[in-house]
Amino acid sequence: MMSTPAISTEQLTKRYGTRTVVDALNLEVAQGEVFGLLGPNGAGKTTTIAMLLGLVQPTAGRASVLGHDVWTTPAAALRRVGAMIEAPAFYPYLSGRINLRILAQAGGVDPKRIDPLLETVDLTARADDRVRTYSQGMKQRLAIAAALLPDPALVILDEPTNGLDPAGTVEVRNLIRTLAADGRTILLCSHMLHEVEQLCARVAILKAGRLIRMGGVAELLRRTQGVRLRIVSDPAAAAALLANFAGVRGVQRQDDILLVDAPVEQAAALNSHLTQHGVAVAELGVQSSDLETFFLDVTSNEA
Amino acid sequence: MLPQLCAAEWLKLWRRPLAWVLLGIFLGLLTLYLTLWFLVVALHVGAFTGGNERIAILADAQIAELRNQLTFPGIFGAVLGQFNSIGGLLAIILAAGALGSDYSWGTLRSLLIRAPDRGAFLLAKTLAVLLALTVGLLVALALGAGLALIFTAVLGGGSGMGWRDLLALPLGLLRALYIVLPYILATLACTAYGRSVLAGVGGGLLFLAVDIGAGSLNALAGVHPLLRTMTNLLLQPNINTLVVQNSQLFGLDQVVLLSGLDLSQLPPWPQAVLVIGLYSALFYFSAWRMIKRRDIGGAG
Repeated sequence: MMSTPAISTEQLTKRYGTRTVVDALNLEVAQGEVFGLLGPNGAGKTTTIAMLLGLVQPTAGRASVLGHDVWTTPAAALRRVGAMIEAPAFYPYLSGRINLRILAQAGGVDPKRIDPLLETVDLTARADDRVRTYSQGMKQRLAIAAALLPDPALVILDEPTNGLDPAGTVEVRNLIRTLAADGRTILLCSHMLHEVEQLCARVAILKAGRLIRMGGVAELLRRTQGVRLRIVSDPAAAAALLANFAGVRGVQRQDDILLVDAPVEQAAALNSHLTQHGVAVAELGVQSSDLETFFLDVTSNEA
Repeated sequence: MLPQLCAAEWLKLWRRPLAWVLLGIFLGLLTLYLTLWFLVVALHVGAFTGGNERIAILADAQIAELRNQLTFPGIFGAVLGQFNSIGGLLAIILAAGALGSDYSWGTLRSLLIRAPDRGAFLLAKTLAVLLALTVGLLVALALGAGLALIFTAVLGGGSGMGWRDLLALPLGLLRALYIVLPYILATLACTAYGRSVLAGVGGGLLFLAVDIGAGSLNALAGVHPLLRTMTNLLLQPNINTLVVQNSQLFGLDQVVLLSGLDLSQLPPWPQAVLVIGLYSALFYFSAWRMIKRRDIGGAG
């Protein structure tokens, strides 16, 4: 039996006047999954998250969280959802501890959870200081503690490492791993693509409100792999030979290097083909790209 | 859920420096106001010179009325009257700050994720502001009582406190809160519309100014019964009815000090209660609709 998805959207759309910010988005995130939501600025990520959290009303389509429609049954949908969205937001005149107490009271959460969470985000020593005296990194950590208050089954984190120093970034990354290991679903929105690549099993990439790619990180990157050849003599002729070879989607030439857009399993066949036509190959390898390169490639190429 | 939300809203207001600053301003102005009246009466009766030298700037009847306002039980009517004038302005700032800051600090997002019932949020916010005003009013009444003890010792007079006066206090307090309710709710509606403290303060004060201005149309009430009916549907004449009732509750007579006030032209109290209730319901509905329907954050 299939379990209810943690997040499911059907044709989710948000328009402001004539401007479409999120365009018929279909997304499904399984329970226990660490899912990355990526996109350049203005792609519609934050609006999508805001719709998932019941803060923004969809113009069309629907969004459900943990099996409940967010707009019609928000209390049931969000009861076990923790989120930090946009910049950390707290009452500056109150301490970190009181801020968490207010959120706990408002959400009917046991206030006994506050102290362990402050410990988790390493804020115990400053818990009774006013938030206005906190650094950006401390506010960020407090926001993570706030997101974890309801013992969430789904954690939505929008740029969780924003403003953190390298040590803090590593801590948050480890915390996300721990949360995922506990079986919680995590929706991670970040511009730190290296971080997303390390943490997420699947990603969706938005551009101008539209979903342009979705899939497993490894699978998406494998699709971008190609064959790299260094040609000893006449690389132009070699490029022409390979361009017509079956399975080759494209060839790029950089001096004596040819980057062939073809399945890596064809590397041996490409080498053989060139050799048969008298072209000597000095090096043969796999050209792989990371998520950042892939992201930049798809977001700059897709219309 | 509502009691928890109310507790959260109360905690925010209780710990907020703005609330204490506003209370301090109100108590300071109240003390100044009562002390000035006291000086006027004391100079009139020569309280500082054993009656040898007197400075009379008001008529004897007015001085007698002022003396009533400075001693028991009239002091309570005076404090409630001040709450419904200068206190109303401060209540507008408090209400705008209570809701507007949640917009400007972005804390509304965090709160609505944890407690997504926006109607309950608005109700809790309103109740917390009213509770804060009640606490402020109780402190002001206590201050007034303390000052009245001093004034009575110097000036003499006053009929003292009876059980009847004590029992009248809750009614007077509720009536004073009811009088400021439409202004608070109009402020909340403006704050929700403009999503900021500034919009709330600006809208609330503008409404107050327009309302007082429109209230001057009450002067036309004597011209024709139809005009009287129409002007009595404005908020201000109905507010005046309840303000006058509150002062009469503690033995005061507003007409002595405000000679232009024609009590016969004011609407009867049941109408005043109804009209103020209708205005309040309209403003609350506007605030509710604004908070319920509008997006919080996103690209809009």
